[in-house]
Amino acid sequence: MAIENINGCIGCGICVQTCPTDVIRLDPKTKKAIIKYPADCQICHLCRMYCPVDAISITPEKSIPVIVSWG
Amino acid sequence: MTNVNTKNEMSRRKFMGLAGGAIGMATLASMGIPGWAANKIKIDPESLEYLEKETDVLVIGGGMAGLFAAVKAHDAGAKALMVSKGRLGSSGQTPFAKGIFAYDPSTAAMTLDEFTATVSRSALGSNNSVYTKQMAEHSLARVNELKDWGFFDSALYNKSFSKPINERNIPLLERIVITNLIKENGKIAGAAGFSLDEEKVYIFKAKSVILCTGAGGFKPNGFPICDLTHDGTIMAYNIGAKVTGKEWNDGHPGQATNAAACYDGWHGMFERKPSVNGIEVHHDLGVDLNYMAYTNGNPVQMGPPGAGESNPISGGPYIPAEFNRMSSDKPKDGPEDGKKPPRGERPEKGGKPGEGDAPPGMGGTSVGGSSAGMSIHKSEGLVPINDKCESTIPGLYAAGDALGSYMAGAIYTQIGSSLAGSAVQGAIAGEAAAVYSESANTPVISKAKIKALQEEMLAPLHREAGYSPAWVTQTLQGIMIPNFVLYVKKESMLKAALAYVEELRDHHAPMLRAADLHELRLVHETKNMIATAEMKLKASILRKESRCSHYRLDYPELDNENWQAWINIFKDEEGNMQFEKQAFNSWPNENLFHQI
Amino acid sequence: MGVIMEKRIRRYNIIVASIVFIGLPILFWALGDFPRRSSLKEILSVLTLVAFSLMLGQFFLARSNKKVLTGHKMSTIIKYHKYIGYIFVSVLLLHPFLLVLPRYFESGVEPTDAFITIITTTNSIGVVLGIIAYCLLLILGLTSIFRNQLKMSYKTWRVFHGILSIVFIAIATIHVIDLGRHTNTAMISYFVTLSGIGIFLLLRTYILKSSGGTK
Repeated sequence: MAIENINGCIGCGICVQTCPTDVIRLDPKTKKAIIKYPADCQICHLCRMYCPVDAISITPEKSIPVIVSWG
Repeated sequence: MTNVNTKNEMSRRKFMGLAGGAIGMATLASMGIPGWAANKIKIDPESLEYLEKETDVLVIGGGMAGLFAAVKAHDAGAKALMVSKGRLGSSGQTPFAKGIFAYDPSTAAMTLDEFTATVSRSALGSNNSVYTKQMAEHSLARVNELKDWGFFDSALYNKSFSKPINERNIPLLERIVITNLIKENGKIAGAAGFSLDEEKVYIFKAKSVILCTGAGGFKPNGFPICDLTHDGTIMAYNIGAKVTGKEWNDGHPGQATNAAACYDGWHGMFERKPSVNGIEVHHDLGVDLNYMAYTNGNPVQMGPPGAGESNPISGGPYIPAEFNRMSSDKPKDGPEDGKKPPRGERPEKGGKPGEGDAPPGMGGTSVGGSSAGMSIHKSEGLVPINDKCESTIPGLYAAGDALGSYMAGAIYTQIGSSLAGSAVQGAIAGEAAAVYSESANTPVISKAKIKALQEEMLAPLHREAGYSPAWVTQTLQGIMIPNFVLYVKKESMLKAALAYVEELRDHHAPMLRAADLHELRLVHETKNMIATAEMKLKASILRKESRCSHYRLDYPELDNENWQAWINIFKDEEGNMQFEKQAFNSWPNENLFHQI
Repeated sequence: MGVIMEKRIRRYNIIVASIVFIGLPILFWALGDFPRRSSLKEILSVLTLVAFSLMLGQFFLARSNKKVLTGHKMSTIIKYHKYIGYIFVSVLLLHPFLLVLPRYFESGVEPTDAFITIITTTNSIGVVLGIIAYCLLLILGLTSIFRNQLKMSYKTWRVFHGILSIVFIAIATIHVIDLGRHTNTAMISYFVTLSGIGIFLLLRTYILKSSGGTK
């Protein structure tokens, strides 16, 4: 996982805007940020740096799903 | 370990099991005709709202070039509108560029002309001197404006970028993916795209358009360019613009551990406030590191270019003696060029610097290919017909990494000039586009054309079956990123890779599917990457010499007789990719090129 | 009851109270699967968590909890209640600022910008409840400090203080559950249980008073 956790999110949506690769979205029900497309994370930390409540934690490891079948 | 991975492991294992037996086949059939390739659409493509916007100057892209393009177009009296795939100051390469060059005539050790000549010597003539000089000449003015907006006060650029945009009430639309440029009667007429957040399609009618869309890569590991896929270049190529610079390569290494972690690979540099660089002209290859890795095996050696001590290698890319830092007396383990290392970090080892000074990928075991698919800053992109950033299509401009201005040449020369060049060119393009739109009429775009564009843009959402952009991208990465394809080139391998890419172009690109708007973006990005790959391979096959960041194992020498020329690429009337040479330091209208 | 016995009960009560109101939240914080951050951030988090649980503890340091507190002098209890109240109400009143304080020491968004974003995110129920709870807490604190100037009888003030506390703790608990970065199931159960019992004890004294008419 690249973005590991979003803890204490207030749902301001800044991380959604900030992510260059559109990894984060607001959950329509809880109105909080979720890691929707983790495979596209480039681990640039912009979301973490822009988050007003410092809710995002990121690890340097990333596993990209290896797609071998013709999908 | 992760959700995604587990799910994928499961489905892969499940697929293997299923494909193995008759029961599996029956299950697949019961899942619907296409089975695992079915497009499980999450939005109703028919329900998308349609919106039209009109403006004088449409600026596409919200990085350094886009900022100045919008501001200067507005200040020159035009109605400007900015649209960006991401957020202002937080997408593309701009948020990660921490050094900006400023030529200060009162303190500079050399004149503007001497500076330009130095860049030309390092670039082996491959730079466009007009753009090199222009960058230096205007850099201080742009840097001072940035200072006023608070650019140097924060590591994050959104706030300082928003200041001039808000003060001028320039409309800003973020998270809109532009997929097509629109041309009517031989002139630019606007652009079309869709919103990532709302189910909306946008048509922009504009008297002029400035592409500030950056360059791109193949969504490589370790370089923060995964949102840059040469969108502007390919959209412009598709409506007939000439593009250039596809054979050059940025050779940044990444780190072996956690190769995908851009932030970690750059050792805290993303957290630094930007700073100003003075004159410092290099000939930083990157390709020579990759050549070493190719001949000696990974990992690539650290140290200044050519400083492999244990295994001296012969051959490899040529570095002009004046710029060969191996022969310099700088301490090998000292910070890059005597500059301070990034805050809170250990001193960096020498090597190829990134934007500014701290070299990414240094300080651990390095591996090549971190910026795969990207050319040298400002060398690939639209062919300018003059010093006003104007493209070969009337009303269409480009600035920054989207313009093939050859400001730095086919090798990265002046440190920090990339960010400075984007600011300078953005401002020039903004003013030029404003002047152009004064005498241009508001374009009329036919309903039929809009309908056709919309259908083309949204087609992947309608496909019941097809290929996922993630799979096609991974396949493309497997073809293009190996060091024996674009880094250490030879004809047989370039042709082999081209055969694969043509297959993706002809068979897979038309069948890309999207389940939601995020994936629709990926589809368009993937198509642009495939087109770019074709250009890069074909241009690399054509250039039968080695120069700057283009290295051919089968043609290792400079060929000044035939190749003091740039390669332009354009689409002919039948839709075929065509190539021509344009002599270094000439303009396209000077008839110095010939078809090849 | 002998004096020694009472002393032992008092000591026992203090130990149990410390475990419940300081030990448990720290335990849940330590055992929870939360990403570990800088020590400054973790210290501020723990301080805020403990401040909140001690606010819950205030319900048990009052007349409503008379039965358990038989061994103690009520005046001493009220003294504790006051001191704890003044100290940790201040901590909680600082909480919105403590949240953005670490940004001064790093290169993310500026603390003032972060703060403005937080208080203007009014589409978030958690934020709105937090702002309401903050105002209630401010009123609670001020009306306690300036009680004598209020021209309210002590009994009226006590009812006012009690009801305000119930409203505050209910709203604050929802705010904590919605937005807290350390609210996992254990922490939620802990807060809900304590605030539930606290509110119940207080309401019971009111109901008993009105129906039984002890006074």
